[in-house]
Amino acid sequence: MGIALAIAGAALAALLAGIGSAMGVGRAGQAASGVVTEDPSKFGKVLLLELLPGTQGIYGLIIAFVTLMRIGVIGGTINADMSWQLGLQYLFACLPMAIVGLISAIQQANVSVSTISLISKRGDQLAKAMTLPAMVETYAILALLISFLAVVGLPTA
Amino acid sequence: MAILPVDRVRIIAKRKDRKKILEFLQHESVIDVKDTSYEQDQVFKNEDTATEVTTFNKNSEICEDALRILNYYAPEKSSLFSSLEGRKTIDASVFNEETTKHDELMKVAYKIQSLNKQIEENKAGIPRIENNRTALEPWMGLDIPIDFKGTKKTRAFIGILPGKETVESVQTRISELCPQITGVDVEIVNAMASQTCLYVLCLKKDAGEVEAALRTMNFARPVKSEIVPAEMMDALSIEEKTLMEEIKEDEEKIKALAPKREALKLMSDYYKMRSDKYEVIHELGQSERVFILEGFIVQKDEKDLEEKLNENFELSLEFIKPAEDEEVPVKLKNNAFAAPLESVVESFSLPGKGDIDPSFISALFYYILFGFMFSDAGYGLILTIACGTLLLRFKNMEPGTKKFFGLFLGCGIGTTIMGVLFGSFFADTIPVVARTFFGKEITLWHWMDPNTDPMGVLRLAFAVGIIHIFVGLGAKAYMNIKAHDVWSAICDTVFWWFLIGGLVALLLSSATACSMFGMSKAALPVAAGEIAKYVAIIGAVGIVLTGGRDSKNWGVRIGRGLYSLYGVSSYLGDILSYSRLLALGLATGMIAQVFNMMGAMAGGGIVGAIFFIIIFVIGHTLNFGINVLGAYVHTNRLTYVEFFGKFYEGEGKAFKPFTMNTKYLKVKNGETIKAKKESAK
Repeated sequence: MGIALAIAGAALAALLAGIGSAMGVGRAGQAASGVVTEDPSKFGKVLLLELLPGTQGIYGLIIAFVTLMRIGVIGGTINADMSWQLGLQYLFACLPMAIVGLISAIQQANVSVSTISLISKRGDQLAKAMTLPAMVETYAILALLISFLAVVGLPTA
Repeated sequence: MAILPVDRVRIIAKRKDRKKILEFLQHESVIDVKDTSYEQDQVFKNEDTATEVTTFNKNSEICEDALRILNYYAPEKSSLFSSLEGRKTIDASVFNEETTKHDELMKVAYKIQSLNKQIEENKAGIPRIENNRTALEPWMGLDIPIDFKGTKKTRAFIGILPGKETVESVQTRISELCPQITGVDVEIVNAMASQTCLYVLCLKKDAGEVEAALRTMNFARPVKSEIVPAEMMDALSIEEKTLMEEIKEDEEKIKALAPKREALKLMSDYYKMRSDKYEVIHELGQSERVFILEGFIVQKDEKDLEEKLNENFELSLEFIKPAEDEEVPVKLKNNAFAAPLESVVESFSLPGKGDIDPSFISALFYYILFGFMFSDAGYGLILTIACGTLLLRFKNMEPGTKKFFGLFLGCGIGTTIMGVLFGSFFADTIPVVARTFFGKEITLWHWMDPNTDPMGVLRLAFAVGIIHIFVGLGAKAYMNIKAHDVWSAICDTVFWWFLIGGLVALLLSSATACSMFGMSKAALPVAAGEIAKYVAIIGAVGIVLTGGRDSKNWGVRIGRGLYSLYGVSSYLGDILSYSRLLALGLATGMIAQVFNMMGAMAGGGIVGAIFFIIIFVIGHTLNFGINVLGAYVHTNRLTYVEFFGKFYEGEGKAFKPFTMNTKYLKVKNGETIKAKKESAK
């Protein structure tokens, strides 16, 4: 029971953050290809902006990975008798990354989409266009940190 | 390491020298021309040059278009790094001689454009031929023209019926519709599931009725043609072949013009320069014989310009100190360490009135913050070597590109240093390789390991953040002191230093607070905490008393002071924001470790080694790309929000000298000006 809950936590982190990033990069990619239609030379710039909402998926992956290592699914032996309390603790520790990852990726994509249209009109303003979406990402990073510290702080199974 | 001091400059000269003086100034590119102070009156007027500017811009665009077409049909050989090579330098005499051929060269540009237009029109003709051909395809069995109307006594109907029909079925239908008529001859030329092409012959007297019958059967007439289909087909083929040949011929003609490419580039630049010149002419105040040019000049260029101008022309030249409150354009000058940061500053905003140039103090932190987040010695070395090689290899790089690579060179060095401190070389590649392939356990030397001691690295991140913020506040004090406002420096900086510093020290002296950050005991003795408490209180009281010092009313003043004190919560947020240093550092390391682990899954031996190398290259390339982007973006954020927020206003305007704003060539000014003066005498 405990191990199942812990794996559920790892899965949620990878799932929700991954879904958020997939949606985010998808949305930004549509806007980006619109700009490239008009001006193919802007490909490099809009690609950077398209990638920005993609990091949440990676953060989710990190939390999932660390959790799986801690509970022995990767590179260890699985402890089938993990208490349900400990499993639940792992699950909760993963939640900040899962939920914040999902929502921040989508919100960040909204900003990316607008800054992609900014780049279509003012190609020289790349640094500004990259900084604005990064503001949203701050919260995904904070969630990553909290989930990471929580998972690492829990006893290994 | 500062904002260069700028003066106003005024040149008054004879109008007949205008062309030469302007060309000279464009070569020198030291004056930012602005019609600043004089007003238009009866004598001095602005000349309207909009038409010239438009014409020259248009010519430049035509050359650009011709170059684009040329590059499509006869691509220029260019290496991956050609954009780094910078503009070619050309001697002024060569440039001037080439430009005398401008009419001829514009004709070349027009010719390329018209050839391209012709090619496009011809290309549009081919699908039309294809369409006709497809329409004609079913009629190939017909040996008379499709327009054939019949002979003296007969009437022919050639056309299409929907659906698949046979001779019998058509004849039955016709005899059903007009039973009294006999002798209708039906021939099927081509029958498909969707349509049937047929030939119907009847006596002329029956023509009306047969036609009506056919119409009820939805008979449609095909394309008109007075030639037999087979011949028509040949004609179409010939037409298509001619078009193709013409296209090919025109393409060859364009290719033959490829040697003119360099000349066209020169022309494009030439017209761009002339258009810039006429934009400046618009800014001049001109009377019948005299013109006035006003603008800004960087002080260190003044002497040189004065000498050169007086040597070559008769004119009056004045340098004027700008008024205290005047907005002057900004030009930054920094050493190699801080110059790359100018581009970062520029993309935030150039220093405005009363600001300092923040490039240097930003650089002190920028490279380290970046390194903290990228945090891998292997990645750092790659970045350093790549940027360093490019900078050495391409000396003639444009200034913007140079700053870009300079910035990442610094970041690469910062990353290498932080990577060594954290014991990360392509993450844990060395231990993993040693374990998998050689069965040995190796641990790299490290000062701190983010994986095993994240709280320690988090403390380090906060410490870096607090110093960063303190230096930002210090910069504010420096600006205030420079403006002879020591009181503001104390109120807005020193009190905050006391408050924040005192609170941090107080926390560090408490065992409970320290255990929260993973320390086993308090970092500071209790006595130090007592002192820190009073320091913090002095700071807080100071802020409450002076935070609202603009107001005369003490009630309002204290109220606003309390509100300022509330701002301490934003400092908490600022410091916590530096936790991203750890988080992004972990992100780089963890993803790299995941790839290394995947690579090691195939075990030792040759196969394992090949598998490891493939995964290693792909995985680390991906990780490098993602994290270099993340580190860059978040270093900018920390600089812009947490650091600049403490002292920097921005909103300055860039110093944009009247210069050769060209795309391909840099014209070197030789002895031509002197020679001109000689000949003028």
